Amino acid sequence: MAEDLTSGGAGGTGGAVAPPQPGEPTLRWTAHVHSPSDVERELSRIWAQPDLTVAADGQTVGRHIAARTSVMNLVVVARQPEVGEHAAHMISLLTGRHPSRTLIVQSADPDGPTWLDARIQAYCVLPRADAPETCSELIFLTAGGEAGRHLSALVAPLLIHDLPVTVWWPGEPLLHAAPALELLEGTDRLIVDGSSWSGDGLDRLRQLADLYRRFPRLSVRDFALVRQSRWREAIATVFDLPDFLPFLTHIRRISVTYGTRDETGAPGTTNVVKPVYHVGWIASRLGMSVISPLHPIEPGGRGAVPGPRRPHPGERPPLHRGLHGRLRAHTNDIGVFIRPVGSKLRAGTTLRVEILAERRGSEMRADVTAEAENVHVHAWLDGVQAMDRTFRTPRRNDIDLLGEALEVGGRDPLSMESIQMATKIVEVR
Amino acid sequence: MRELRLAAESRRRSSSSSRTLDNPLREGLRLERVPDPAAFVLFGATGDLAHRKVVPALYQLWRTHLLPHEFTLVAVGRRPYTDDAFRADLKASLDRYSRVLPVDRDTWDDLASRIVYHRGDFSDASSFEALAARLDQLDRDHGTRGNRLFYLAAQPSAFPQIVAQLGRVGLDHERHEGGWRRVVIEKPFGRDLNSAVRLNREVGKVFRERQVYRIDHYLGKETVRNLLVFRFGNGIFEPIWNRRHIDHIQITVAESIGIESRGAFYEETGASRDFLQNHLLQLLSLVAMEPPTTFEADALRDEKVKIIRAITELTPEQVRRDVVRGQYGPGWAEAQPVKAYREEPEVDPASETETFIAARLTIDDWRWSGVPFYLRMGKRLPKRATEIAIQFKEVPHQLFQDSATVPEPNLLAMRIQPDEGIMLRFGAKVPGLGIDVRNVTMDFTYGSAFQTDSPDAYETLILDALLGDASLFTRADEVEQAWSIVDPVIDAWAQMPAPDFPNYYAGTWGPEAADDLLAREGRRWRRI
Repeated sequence: MAEDLTSGGAGGTGGAVAPPQPGEPTLRWTAHVHSPSDVERELSRIWAQPDLTVAADGQTVGRHIAARTSVMNLVVVARQPEVGEHAAHMISLLTGRHPSRTLIVQSADPDGPTWLDARIQAYCVLPRADAPETCSELIFLTAGGEAGRHLSALVAPLLIHDLPVTVWWPGEPLLHAAPALELLEGTDRLIVDGSSWSGDGLDRLRQLADLYRRFPRLSVRDFALVRQSRWREAIATVFDLPDFLPFLTHIRRISVTYGTRDETGAPGTTNVVKPVYHVGWIASRLGMSVISPLHPIEPGGRGAVPGPRRPHPGERPPLHRGLHGRLRAHTNDIGVFIRPVGSKLRAGTTLRVEILAERRGSEMRADVTAEAENVHVHAWLDGVQAMDRTFRTPRRNDIDLLGEALEVGGRDPLSMESIQMATKIVEVR
Repeated sequence: MRELRLAAESRRRSSSSSRTLDNPLREGLRLERVPDPAAFVLFGATGDLAHRKVVPALYQLWRTHLLPHEFTLVAVGRRPYTDDAFRADLKASLDRYSRVLPVDRDTWDDLASRIVYHRGDFSDASSFEALAARLDQLDRDHGTRGNRLFYLAAQPSAFPQIVAQLGRVGLDHERHEGGWRRVVIEKPFGRDLNSAVRLNREVGKVFRERQVYRIDHYLGKETVRNLLVFRFGNGIFEPIWNRRHIDHIQITVAESIGIESRGAFYEETGASRDFLQNHLLQLLSLVAMEPPTTFEADALRDEKVKIIRAITELTPEQVRRDVVRGQYGPGWAEAQPVKAYREEPEVDPASETETFIAARLTIDDWRWSGVPFYLRMGKRLPKRATEIAIQFKEVPHQLFQDSATVPEPNLLAMRIQPDEGIMLRFGAKVPGLGIDVRNVTMDFTYGSAFQTDSPDAYETLILDALLGDASLFTRADEVEQAWSIVDPVIDAWAQMPAPDFPNYYAGTWGPEAADDLLAREGRRWRRI
């Protein structure tokens, strides 16, 4: 049974509530049902509500008619209830910008009997004081038993037809599992955050790349890749300089330094998706191929840089030397180094990208670093500094990233090619 | 929105300098490009335009990280100011005119630290020499790398002088190592064809055409830019965008305000120079032009020039018949009594300056032959509204003549301001047993569909100028061609008897003759 919060209680009775404030999403209706058909029935009831009123200063005034608006179906796969609640909160803040029918799907008690619990909410936002309210629906679906293993069957009946389907899978997506593949079969866009994956995150990265092969129409947005947009802008700027542009085809080394909190810095202890994406992006744009995928640098082995002396007894051992691989562009071999350094920043955060190129006896070096809210770019030609620029970096939270991910439709070649190249770079032999 | 974004991206990508085109790392970057480090030199910095529009736009760009870190604003004006006093003045204006309020203190402080005031008279050669030296120093201190954007927000009469002075001290010279120089010139660009040609010549003596950005802020408005996406990003409209399906087109720019404190300026310009020559003809060209081959600045502007060239120049007889001028008398606006134009400050009590113009223009080309374009602009009209209305032809055979309401022909209205959006009117059956037809509308409003603030036109245009993208700026030949449409009108008026001004009350839709202009052809202005 739908509960109309606008009129103060179930069944639409009771006193009116305060008028909505422009730009602030308001929870307007709730309902609780136990089958997909009941969900549709309750949604129909909600949108059949007549124009309602709200009180202003104790007086009843005419309220703007609420119009349901949907520009997409958004399916959130939440493995824990708190993830679902957090996602719901973020989506409610985006109601105005990206009105959608949102299905937040969770499974519970996989070995128990089959059941379904659906909480329906309608959020509305007043764009301006004189405009009609725009509303969208948020449905929490919790499926127990066998039903929880058939995400697609749960979601498909509740999708608004002809609207694109976006699946947002926060946390650790089970991208290779059958339920995920069934769900993604009818999905236009997948949103993930590679920087939140456990371990080094590379297994899931490979799974992500595999999805491109399985679903040619699928578009993937990874927050980890989106967050690096200003880095890409900064790196690209170096080669806007006419003197530096020819060096793009003569790159010899790409080094990415990332922060780790692990005291060993050993491979597998820190998520390296973001550092790998930097290399994946550069390599894909420049048409490089992989000669030797990334592998741990052995002390004194190939790719090792002369390191510091052995630690004295009781002294903390130095961090692992990171990963090394080789790429090729035309006839040039390019060394790739991904190195950890101890940092209090979030583990896996990129701290520095260095590019070294040599052409006709000249050496070009670019050094891009992050500091507070800025990205700094320094570049040298034969040891003479030719660029010193700072890029102000907008600090984007998950809401900004989600909003941006929802806004960009269609396949994004940069994203696809960067992810695919990153996968080749980390390929297991 | 995506189309618009991609169109803008493609435009930026394709119109940027060749170095950007060659850089494969640029391919697919979706984030708005940050302009090169630059000094923004603002002439007329103490004036109204600078305080109301230019500086709020710069603040907004700074706030959203779209200006380079290595950025300075050099404010040039005649009045004496210290840097701090000028910054305080700007802050006070920003608190009134910023699109996003309240102004963020830290963000403003950050931007303000990059603002310096340079006192100088435009006729004083030494002040330009000092300006050149100061800019060189700022290059060293702030890393602006010799890139300079000169923004002329001063009195139009000072433009040739400023440009000449810039040339004299070598501030127009682009450096081999990449320091670019651009000049943004505010409208009005001349007051007739001869003066526009002269001004273009003066500017051309110093700057190359590719360095010149003539601003018409209407072209930076979101809805105007969307007009291109609407026409060329959707397949269903272009096939019917021609004389076979369109009966006529109306373009209205209505202002409820009078001339405010600009009496002296308006006496010199009038509606024909202030609006017809630029805003109205720009809107017409975007509605009527052929699809450009690319979104590059010159491809777009070539098409606009072609369509303006195809507008039939009016003979004196046609001016008498097809152009209506008006001037507001006293009346009521927004429930307040308002003065007549002739009673406004700095206005001649016997002024013959028009505050209203309506014109019927035709375009002699394959697509538009026989389709009239009705343009009108007026001050002190009942409301502020800018709209382009495409009136389609009636169906060839009326099947539903028995309906209580005769279905009207389809209409597509594009609202430029306020309440930006697009409306399509069509007939629908009234529910019931009979067949009654009623006109209904499908309405798209930017505010409801996207609910994100559109950038102000000045933000768009300033960013484009800093990025070197001239597609939304007018070219010399475009300006001259537009004057060649307006000049015959002004010349014909000069030969005609004095008009019977004032001929409309403030708060009404202009003189009756404007209604007659359409009524004699069985049409009427759309009720806005």
